[in-house]
Amino acid sequence: MDDLRAINNDVESNATKISAKNVQVYYGDTHAIKDVNVEIKEHTVTAFIGPSGCGKSTFLRSINRMNDTIDICRVEGDIRIDGQDIYDRNIDPVQLRARVGMVFQKPNPFPKSIYDNIAYGPKIHGLAKTKADMDEIVEKSLRRGAIWNEVKDRLHAPGTGLSGGQQQRLCIARAIATEPDVLLMDEPCSALDPIATSQVEELIDQLRESYTVVIVTHSMQQAARVSQKTAFFHLGSLVEYGTTDDIFTNPKDSRTESYISGRIG
Amino acid sequence: MSTQHIVSAFDRDLEGAQAMVLKMAGLVENAMSQAAQAFETNDLELAHKVRGNDKVIDRLDEDIKTNCARILATRSPNASDLRTVLAVMSISSNLERCGDYAKNIAKRTTVLAETRQIDGVPAALRHMQSAVASMLQDVLDAFIKRDVDLAENVRARDYEVDEMYNTLFRSLLTHMMEDTHNITACMHLHFISKNIERMGDHTTSIAEQVIYLVTGEMPDDDRQKSDLISQSKPDELSRT
Repeated sequence: MDDLRAINNDVESNATKISAKNVQVYYGDTHAIKDVNVEIKEHTVTAFIGPSGCGKSTFLRSINRMNDTIDICRVEGDIRIDGQDIYDRNIDPVQLRARVGMVFQKPNPFPKSIYDNIAYGPKIHGLAKTKADMDEIVEKSLRRGAIWNEVKDRLHAPGTGLSGGQQQRLCIARAIATEPDVLLMDEPCSALDPIATSQVEELIDQLRESYTVVIVTHSMQQAARVSQKTAFFHLGSLVEYGTTDDIFTNPKDSRTESYISGRIG
Repeated sequence: MSTQHIVSAFDRDLEGAQAMVLKMAGLVENAMSQAAQAFETNDLELAHKVRGNDKVIDRLDEDIKTNCARILATRSPNASDLRTVLAVMSISSNLERCGDYAKNIAKRTTVLAETRQIDGVPAALRHMQSAVASMLQDVLDAFIKRDVDLAENVRARDYEVDEMYNTLFRSLLTHMMEDTHNITACMHLHFISKNIERMGDHTTSIAEQVIYLVTGEMPDDDRQKSDLISQSKPDELSRT
């Protein structure tokens, strides 16, 4: 009974990793994110919940400038990571995305070997000088992705040959191979079965020690299980942000209450 | 939260659990008043009936717990739904204990029928019992109406019951010291008064559950208490 995590779900760090102030996102004329202010804590899993189309994924994607790839998308306001404005002119989005990794809903391994899936990021960012360096990075990333034991004997087999749950953990390992600070996850378990989901959730909990994790999820129970902080989005606004325990037992806003308890509101 | 769930069966589950606990409360109220009546009128047949009926209360408590466990497992309730399920489970336990105390009073009534009368005590017990009965009635009202003020009021009234118990305790002690032949009767009467005092405590606990259910927070433990007996030395108690 040494593990008291279930009842000790406090946020251990008070340091702010990501700070968003008055963030607006537009798709053409559509105002998709309305004046969002949020401070995301370091070494914490923060869950974004809310109905479809509420803007949670849009906001998540503005944290590593994935919205830049959409022509009609415009982001206003201030988003800072470690105090640095990520929309600053001098910031290279490619370098930013190495620091702010992302995992998507559907596992999307490259059509390459397991080894090359992991090695790709470190290679283009020049993180390994020798083959031995690269071997080390690959092993470390796969271990952190909690998939090493399952793939260590077939590192040169195609990544696409793995099961769905394994593919997703491979994608998480790939995202952490470039030593990011922040991991963004957009519904990482929605295509997985319950066992694979549990494995990914266990992994997310471990990743919290080294990274700041932000996860978008449609599963309320998943948000309750894996996160320490929860933000509820509705119609493009951040309605309520607080500790996960408070949000799920005693939310302050009636819209949050309606949503998490499955009511017509 | 008055709006309905998208899954209407969830509404039926929650309403069902609350209806069961109210049904149980009705039975407990009945058991309490019948036990009091049996004691006052020396009605051994009624006392016997109260003892038998406790089984029904116990079974309802089990049914409520099973039902709540099913709701937790299948619906994963959150926020006020979660608090409703937790409060219902807790209230059910409190009511079950009150039922046990009523049963115990009925048992002691059977024994007391063969002992001597102690003057003044039945009237004091009646007074105490009616105070607790009205607390229980109000707390159930507070539960149905989600009325925090009324629940707070019930919580405050437990002090009076404790005071009545303290007074009665001293008086029983005096009777026992005056005449050792009174001891058997007085011991049983003391347990009856303690049972009623404990019913008051459980009713207070229900009031706290109602406050938690509505506000999401348990009330602070700053309520006035009158727990002199358990802290006093014997010679202090006999100084009346």
